[in-house]
Amino acid sequence: MAAALALPGVVPGAAAQSIPDEGIFSVRYLDYRDWQPGADRMTVRSPALFVQKPFAATWLFEGSLVYDGMSGASPRYFNTLSGASGEGVKDYRTAGDARITRYHDRYAIGVGGAVSSERDFLSRAGSLDVRWWTEDRNTTLAFGFAGTADRINSNNGVADNETRYTLDWLVGVTQSVNPDAIVQSNLTFSRGHGYYDDPYKPLDTRPDYRRIVAWLTRWNQSFPSADATMRLAFRVLHDSFGTTSWMTEAQWVQSLPQGWTVQPGLRYYTQSEADFYRNPPFPTGYVPGENYSADTRLAAFGAFTASLRVAKAFADGWTGDLRIDFYRQKSSWRFGGDGSPGIDTFSARWIQAGISKAF
Amino acid sequence: MAAPPRLWRHGFRAMASAHEIVLASDSETHARSVAEAAIAEVARIEAKYSRFRDSSLVSAINRAAGGAPIRIDAETAALLDYADACHRESRGRFDITSGVLRRAWDFRREPPRVASQREIDALLPLVGWNGVERDAHAIRLPRAGMEIDLGGIGKEYAADRAAALAIDGGIAQGLVNLAGDVRVWGGLPDGRPWRVGIRHPRTEGATIAGIELADGAVATSGDYERCIVVDGRRYCHVLDATTGWPVDGWQSMSVVAPLCVVAGSGATVGMLLGEEAPRWLASEGFRWLGVDVQGVVRET
Repeated sequence: MAAALALPGVVPGAAAQSIPDEGIFSVRYLDYRDWQPGADRMTVRSPALFVQKPFAATWLFEGSLVYDGMSGASPRYFNTLSGASGEGVKDYRTAGDARITRYHDRYAIGVGGAVSSERDFLSRAGSLDVRWWTEDRNTTLAFGFAGTADRINSNNGVADNETRYTLDWLVGVTQSVNPDAIVQSNLTFSRGHGYYDDPYKPLDTRPDYRRIVAWLTRWNQSFPSADATMRLAFRVLHDSFGTTSWMTEAQWVQSLPQGWTVQPGLRYYTQSEADFYRNPPFPTGYVPGENYSADTRLAAFGAFTASLRVAKAFADGWTGDLRIDFYRQKSSWRFGGDGSPGIDTFSARWIQAGISKAF
Repeated sequence: MAAPPRLWRHGFRAMASAHEIVLASDSETHARSVAEAAIAEVARIEAKYSRFRDSSLVSAINRAAGGAPIRIDAETAALLDYADACHRESRGRFDITSGVLRRAWDFRREPPRVASQREIDALLPLVGWNGVERDAHAIRLPRAGMEIDLGGIGKEYAADRAAALAIDGGIAQGLVNLAGDVRVWGGLPDGRPWRVGIRHPRTEGATIAGIELADGAVATSGDYERCIVVDGRRYCHVLDATTGWPVDGWQSMSVVAPLCVVAGSGATVGMLLGEEAPRWLASEGFRWLGVDVQGVVRET
């Protein structure tokens, strides 16, 4: 769902070896819209806050808060909606996370927590991560662990106080290949059990557990003579629903005079369909008692995202940036096979504007 | 082979709600001019029949209650004939004079309050379509304080009129959605039927089912838009005119019919008939989809 644009990160990210010497406060505003041919649109507007603050010499606090206000429907499959008269669709999500990291000479330990709340969904997560680096600081090993508890209470009574528990593990290594290149490779495992059905989709029945294994590799190569960095990323993911997905992404970060940065990017994503996904028209292929879903998010498709970020650094630690992402998803763009038939092209765009201040 | 025409969507607000008109055309200019004519027709019908507008014909009829008859034109007489048929079909539960019950049932009041039987009993003498004096040219509400209200018919009629104007304007495929009452024609430009999602009665933003149709209308009545919950019990704005109390047989009722005005009144009558609805809807030959009090989808 577009609403779940980004659950606050519970899996540790990049492998910083030293505490930042500045605090950062940033305010961001996201405007999201999606559409299909002839279909109604959904809009999400999210203001967000982010704070990073070193304190007491060896501690770092990071926290964020986001509010999503949604309006319009995101039918994906329908041309329009029939309902009792009203003011249209409105919904919201609030989410926050916080993390504290203690830095030592050769290692750092962080603990974090996150909460996300919607009308019918509550998610709470806690995480622990440890990073250890070699004396020459060319190699960093990371270990992460996170637990998430979700509570689902759909108002239609289909999901009545249902729960879902997930544990995530991460092992990763970050290696400086040479002074201008760094490569990072992470392996994550996830084991969850509980309620995975979509309570708002008729007949939707999914397994009550999910295993995910994902491998993500990034390569960052800087070109000092051009004052630029190339970022490459590749991820393959397989889960016990039967879906395998591949993602590859390239970004170019170009510094320009007078504090400007321009960052174009292109991402390609493709996935195979889940074992129990059935193509439209609904409810073809439904067998009572067997797993079944017509959720197009479990279909086979391919998608491109093109993005452009422009940032400008000002005096006194102020930075302003604007980022636009354009996403398009089609069955026929699936890599290495046919996509699921009968699904309309789905498009979305994000515009994010932010200002931040180092202090 | 020529490419199929594109769909042009025009969103607009009227009657305190959000609407859309989607028209297939090779030309954006053509689609826009037709949409503007259709929107103007919706505005005309609102101005004529809205009970919220002092200058409307409905307000004039209500102000004259207990007094002299008010002259009506053929369009109004036809709508009243249709309201009369709905009254008969629902055995009096659908009654365009039942709006006075809102004086006891205020669904916007904070904190919410359930009407007392005494308040309802005091208002019921003002409810009664059978007592209304009318012919093809005039109408008179017999008692001062009586009111008529074309809710359940007026907006749906506006959707049909907007569609008729668009078809006359050369649009072979299109869709009119007035706050959830939908009229479609011609199917999608690629030959598939229109797909109308049915709003989930308990979760905003979700759909509970879908109905495919190339030509016709889908309208939905539900207990979820104007309602209060007191002591765990839900009281919705769909009131049974014979008792003055909200009905509680269905969370949502959607009816498919050739015209939106028929689908809309069919959905409301289906809500009002409760357990008897499936039999009545079948006898009328309607395709329907209801969500019962347990949240279970039932359909033809």
